[in-house]
Amino acid sequence: MNPVMEWLIDLQLEQGYLIRPLIVGTLISLVCSVVGCFIILRRMSFLADAIAHSMLAGVIGGYLIMKLVFSQETHLLGMLGGAILAGIATVAMIGFVTRVSRIKQDTAIGIMYTGIFALGALAVSIKSIGGFVHIDITHYIIGNVLAVSNEELWLLAVVSTIVLCSVILFFRPLQITSFDPVMAASIGIPVLAVDYLLTACTSLVVVSGVRVAGVILVVALIITPAASAYLLTDRLNRMLGISASIGILGYWLGFFLTIQIGSSPGPTIVVTMTMIFLLILLIAPRYGILADWIRRTNAVPQEVMEDVLGAILRAPGKNVPINEIVNTVASPNMRVRRAIRMLARKNLLKYDSDRVLLTERGHQEATRLVRAHRLWETYLIQTGEASERIHEKAHQLEHISDQKTVDYLDDKLGHPVRDPHGSEIPVDSVQASGTHHFRASMLRLGNRAEIQRLLPGGVGLGLSAGTEITALPRSDDGLTWNFQNIQGEMFAINHEQADAIIVRLISAN
Amino acid sequence: MDLKNESGSAIDISHLTVSYGPVPALLDVSLKIPKGKLVGIIGPNGSGKSTLIKAILGFVKPDLGKVNIFDQDASTAKGMVAYVPQRGAVDWDFPITVREVATMGRYGHRRWWQDMTRKDLRISDDALAKVRMSEFASRQIGQLSGGQQQRVFMARALAQKAEILLLDEPFSGVDAATENAILEVLQETREQGKTLCVVHHDLATAAEYFDYLILLKQRMFGFGPPSQILVPELLCQVYEGNMKVFAELANRTQSGESHE
Repeated sequence: MNPVMEWLIDLQLEQGYLIRPLIVGTLISLVCSVVGCFIILRRMSFLADAIAHSMLAGVIGGYLIMKLVFSQETHLLGMLGGAILAGIATVAMIGFVTRVSRIKQDTAIGIMYTGIFALGALAVSIKSIGGFVHIDITHYIIGNVLAVSNEELWLLAVVSTIVLCSVILFFRPLQITSFDPVMAASIGIPVLAVDYLLTACTSLVVVSGVRVAGVILVVALIITPAASAYLLTDRLNRMLGISASIGILGYWLGFFLTIQIGSSPGPTIVVTMTMIFLLILLIAPRYGILADWIRRTNAVPQEVMEDVLGAILRAPGKNVPINEIVNTVASPNMRVRRAIRMLARKNLLKYDSDRVLLTERGHQEATRLVRAHRLWETYLIQTGEASERIHEKAHQLEHISDQKTVDYLDDKLGHPVRDPHGSEIPVDSVQASGTHHFRASMLRLGNRAEIQRLLPGGVGLGLSAGTEITALPRSDDGLTWNFQNIQGEMFAINHEQADAIIVRLISAN
Repeated sequence: MDLKNESGSAIDISHLTVSYGPVPALLDVSLKIPKGKLVGIIGPNGSGKSTLIKAILGFVKPDLGKVNIFDQDASTAKGMVAYVPQRGAVDWDFPITVREVATMGRYGHRRWWQDMTRKDLRISDDALAKVRMSEFASRQIGQLSGGQQQRVFMARALAQKAEILLLDEPFSGVDAATENAILEVLQETREQGKTLCVVHHDLATAAEYFDYLILLKQRMFGFGPPSQILVPELLCQVYEGNMKVFAELANRTQSGESHE
């Protein structure tokens, strides 16, 4: 039977022994997960892991010094001091390597922590030294919270209190230096000192956490609850509280699972916390996978809404049956219905149980889209696109319908009146308003307009501002614009000249 | 805080020389920036623009010369100058709300063990109202548009009661709509009597955006209204570029002003 099981059976006989690890673990999980919030926000997770690994060398160093120099067996404070020193030395070495060389931080961390961890492992493996070391190294590597002594309990309680008080007292400096160090420095906050404070707190929680999960897994106690909390809230102070709760919950669940199935506590607790994280990742209300999936399926793409508007406009009659739209628009039934609801919310259409009706704004918007579609079709003919593909292609392109693009196409094509299929291209809706000024080249047959001003190209045609003109049918395949003034005189001009005459619409026919 | 001063300038820099090695980052820069102006700092890469910003913030120790903020040495004028971070330098996923960012402006006014008072909260809420961001107060900062994000940091500077705002390339990497929105925010902040210094790299828009321009390349090559700075003679000394481009730019500047 494995020794942990024996331990547990003994413990269960004397329930009192369970209280100690429960208190210790709760305290440790609490501080680890609180400090973890700052660590993940500053992207220091890997650094925390490095500090944890380097501890092994520190513990052994501290143990040996206390034993050889002061003849003290397993002196707790000595080992704790050694661990913290090793942590600080690791951070200092990493800083040193990144400063003096071109090596980047992640590589420097990788080199230093493996090096210092290996130094510890090397020391115990030498027979002459290893013989001296009467501590169970496996306790440090995978942790064993069940073997906590009373002495250690007190020590950990003190350490936890110090760390927790520091975080609460220095919450604002820690927050602002994590978020915006330059601003922090500009209002006189000693940014470097705050960084050291956080590093010291990290070393302390790592040293405590090792009792629960060992040097290899301790980083999970620090970052997993914090990362879970990060998915649940948008406020740092709440994140600290949620992280602490998740840390404690994870520890308790893992701890009781350990007793139930007789597994090793460290790995069991870490597995539990990871499970909690994965569950939160799945169901978190705002940043969870499920929420994201629901949002995406509920969102109606702009194209579908535009297709619906176009389908309503093209359909005969004003009250269009919903079924007809569902059949025309190439999109799932549900999505089309959702698009209709979205459009109604935007006040572009009205609908009842089986019919829809465009509002005035909806009609304008739909006309704009049809105009874009037919101009694109005309353009595609010019570029030599195969005629059987034109409709489909224009259908994709009509969603590129910003004013500038459409105006460019219209001008380049010589302001066509009909598309290749012979359907009329709707006029730009703003020009019909009667207040908007536009080029005479955009006038349609029968439009009456007043000349507002003449650009350089329109001077010398015998026209002046204030003159009223009426558009006649174009000639020369639409290349010549014919107009009639109020006296009945007719004149013919080309595209450029028509572009240089700025008019205002008086009446459409 | 007594803002009256004899020179009437917000920032008074005299003979500023800063070096990080044998080559000075800034050499003999002297200028007086008047209060309530929108000032652009232009110059090629590595011309000392960031160093100038740091000097105004009081972060660098000058080898020579002085930077005075309203007649007070820059290194002791903490809080008078607000730094608005570059967009790319901000972690927009940070768990912090709009109101919390604005409240940060008050941190410098309280010791670390003191709580924020109701007055502090009122000041930061007023600052949010001034930049028309009150309705977004409890939003996380990542859930805002580019212009709104800029407003939040402006509110923070206002809550700080800073008189001078330093912005490092606020227009870099934003789309045209956001650029307009940010410019509007800068102009509104100027209307409130603040002095703004903006590091800028787009010469084409510099004339349109700023009241004054500082042309920098280690030394100061010019300080004045855009029409005096964006002239081919000056630009050619600073940028090793094509004469023709600058001539065109100058034309545009001149014609842009004749319209007004």
